[in-house]
Amino acid sequence: MVPLMKTRQILSTLLPTTLLLGGLLFSAIPAIADETLVIYSGRSDKFVKPVMKAFTEQTGIAVTLHSGKSTALLNKLKLEGAATSADLYLSNDAGNLQKGSDLGLFRPVDATLAAPIDANYRAGDNSWIGLSARARVLVVNTEGEWADKLDSVFDLADPALKSQLAITNSSNGSFIAGVTVYMLAAGKEKTRQWLQGMKANVDGRVFNKHSKIVKAVAQGRKQVGLVNHYYIYRHLARHPDAPIRIVLPDQGPDGIGVAWNVAGIAISKHSKKSAQAEKLVAFLVSRAGQKMFAEMNMEYPTRGGVPAAKQVPPAGSYKVADVPMAELGRQRDATLDLIEAVGMP
Amino acid sequence: MTTAALRRLPGLRLSPLATLASVVVLAAAMPLLYVVWNSLQLSGAQWAGLWTTRLPALLWNTLSLAVLVAIGSVLLGVSSAWLIARREFAGRRLAVWLMVLPLTVPTYVFAHIYTTLLEEDGWLGRLWIALTGSDRYLPDLFNVWGAGLILTLAGFSYVFLLAHAALGVSTRSLEEAARIQGASRAEVFWRINLPLLRPAIAAALAVVILHVLSDFGAVSMLQYQTFTLSIYLQMSGRFDYQAAAGLSLVLVLLSLTFLLLERFFRSRQRYYSTRQPRRQPRRRATALEAGLIWAWLGLITLLAFGLPLAWMLSWSWVAWQERLIDAEFWGYAYNSLLVAALAASVALVAALPVALYHARRHNLLGDALLQLSSVGFVLPGPVIALGILSLFLAQLPLLYGGLAALVIALVIRFLPLAVQSQDAAMAQLTPSLEQASRSLGAGPLETLWRVTLPMIRGGLATAWVLVFIDALKELPATLILRPTGFDTLPVRIWIEASEEMLEQAAPAALMLVIGTLPVLWILLRGERRGA
Repeated sequence: MVPLMKTRQILSTLLPTTLLLGGLLFSAIPAIADETLVIYSGRSDKFVKPVMKAFTEQTGIAVTLHSGKSTALLNKLKLEGAATSADLYLSNDAGNLQKGSDLGLFRPVDATLAAPIDANYRAGDNSWIGLSARARVLVVNTEGEWADKLDSVFDLADPALKSQLAITNSSNGSFIAGVTVYMLAAGKEKTRQWLQGMKANVDGRVFNKHSKIVKAVAQGRKQVGLVNHYYIYRHLARHPDAPIRIVLPDQGPDGIGVAWNVAGIAISKHSKKSAQAEKLVAFLVSRAGQKMFAEMNMEYPTRGGVPAAKQVPPAGSYKVADVPMAELGRQRDATLDLIEAVGMP
Repeated sequence: MTTAALRRLPGLRLSPLATLASVVVLAAAMPLLYVVWNSLQLSGAQWAGLWTTRLPALLWNTLSLAVLVAIGSVLLGVSSAWLIARREFAGRRLAVWLMVLPLTVPTYVFAHIYTTLLEEDGWLGRLWIALTGSDRYLPDLFNVWGAGLILTLAGFSYVFLLAHAALGVSTRSLEEAARIQGASRAEVFWRINLPLLRPAIAAALAVVILHVLSDFGAVSMLQYQTFTLSIYLQMSGRFDYQAAAGLSLVLVLLSLTFLLLERFFRSRQRYYSTRQPRRQPRRRATALEAGLIWAWLGLITLLAFGLPLAWMLSWSWVAWQERLIDAEFWGYAYNSLLVAALAASVALVAALPVALYHARRHNLLGDALLQLSSVGFVLPGPVIALGILSLFLAQLPLLYGGLAALVIALVIRFLPLAVQSQDAAMAQLTPSLEQASRSLGAGPLETLWRVTLPMIRGGLATAWVLVFIDALKELPATLILRPTGFDTLPVRIWIEASEEMLEQAAPAALMLVIGTLPVLWILLRGERRGA
């Protein structure tokens, strides 16, 4: 009998411990109130949070941001299917948005809601809505020998630019989107040669951040870089005297124009709060919402008539490549194949 | 009693413990089954495609990195362990701490800090420019050398720990015998000490190399394409789970090769002392020697802990002044500690039947279970996370979205650490104690509770601590499986670092170090007692 008693005693200590552990494990699900909107966000927290705060103040609808990389979050959304807790998906890349659309992960928003946004900057079926646009431009050092010599992205393949060129690594979303635009506007072969030329020029040394490219050009370590426009103004805001200048490439009559890409939002197909989610979309496409969302990052509002920050060249004052944003998703794999075939670092 | 009757049946003699152990190992092997299943869907042509386009470069990248890190870790780990175990000098105890502290810094934090320091306006960058006069040859970490350096600094402590323990055991009689036979000091080192150290080094190298193979944070920050990074990009960039599974399978085979090699080295080299192991006496270092020792240890400490800590402190100070350390930050810290503590506790309990069964029943099943429980170490974190994600969504949708999926993935990843520590502790425990307990009338559970567990509490503590440390730093599985809006310190470091918000990443990294210190203390205390 004695051993049995002991066993009981032991069990009586073990059991609560196990229950406690198990209870913690399965009950510690963070409570997300029913009316809270969950956004899978691939855009910087610091650009999104203030906008969401304004939305919450205006409507009383709380928002939870689940941040990460756009591609990884889209992947998660796809795998989770109906079990997802995401009500919306926010990405800095039209490629990801269209990919999600093609995978059937989104629910189209009401056409009247989408109407204020230029048709080129949203999905054909309104399953995602572009909110702000960024331009792919050159940044040049104004004191160097290349200050006035460059007017096309394709100049970057010029062998004379060897070790003078700064680009990001080829897994960068903006880089990939840019290559897609050039591939569609100028053809695959020309783009392949261009990539090969740039690969030779950078000699294996690429940058992991756009901001570092601008810094390298400003300090004269590199003469030219390929970046999104706002990185230049971000640098100039901190160093107003930096010897750098924006070059809007490919503007001539035969030029393909500047590559644009948009950040946008989509409502998850499995959201149980689509009414609230549409309220958020309505807020973001409103004039005030547009201005706020874009200005956070000095981007272009996608709604016509809402001006961008005053530092940046106004939209409409230059030629933009005629490639529908949706193609950034459809041609993404082809672009990746091309980049891999060239072996871009 | 029915159980007693069952246990007497020959076929089911091992039942309760063996069943429990098998269940644990089977659960841990789920992600592996997922990988095998997915890669079976690949056609021959797809395999050929993988082979020609991706595998050669990935194999080369991964293996060259592993070799570099192995060499670097042995160099740093064995030299420091030798000096600390064999020489008596002022501050020796402190030196042990200094060699282990780098374990508190995750690889991606190392990578982030060193790339920042080496920029033109970083501390090291400016030093370089001041010394050489130009930024022309400023070292760049975005290559195999950079990744090798970072992973060496982050991982050499494992080699140190095991080599230090092995060197603490006296081999004096052997060394003296060799000297009497006319061997020189160098010969004694090469022919006595090094072979004796070989099992420890092999075991440590296996740990280091498996960390390299499964590392995600550092290689993705440094954009160095290893298997693990490529698998992650394949899954999240292209949604190509089958190719990812195929690559994972190759990685698993690669890791298993390392594990088998390690076994081979260990099993071929068995040296037993006929007497009770004695503590190796340490020779007092002369002042000059002590100076040289500290110069070397100081250099290692500076690179592997001092600089990163200084960076964290200085940016944390900026964050503090800008009032960025708010309630949200403490929430992240709480989340991290909660998840790591849960994972460590669950792993401790889950590992027990496996270790117990292996240590007490020297049979094939026990060996097989022990080996199979290491799958967590050979599968990359993103793959384990994806396997768990699919499993939960398909089978346990109600539990999905909570902490369970994340904790289970972490337990699977770090179960080998818990199993190995407990197994090692039990191997040293003589079964006669348990037999005595049973003969005095205690049941198996009571014997476990009152004899076995108290006797191996050192090993249990080590197991808990090792899992806690790794779980606290874990990134890829946490990124994929964390509940909605549930951010941990590593996740925040990852997000802030990719946005270059230095002043926000630093306090989180510092908090990880601080959170690891108490458990590290437990680990080192255990080692001192054991030595």
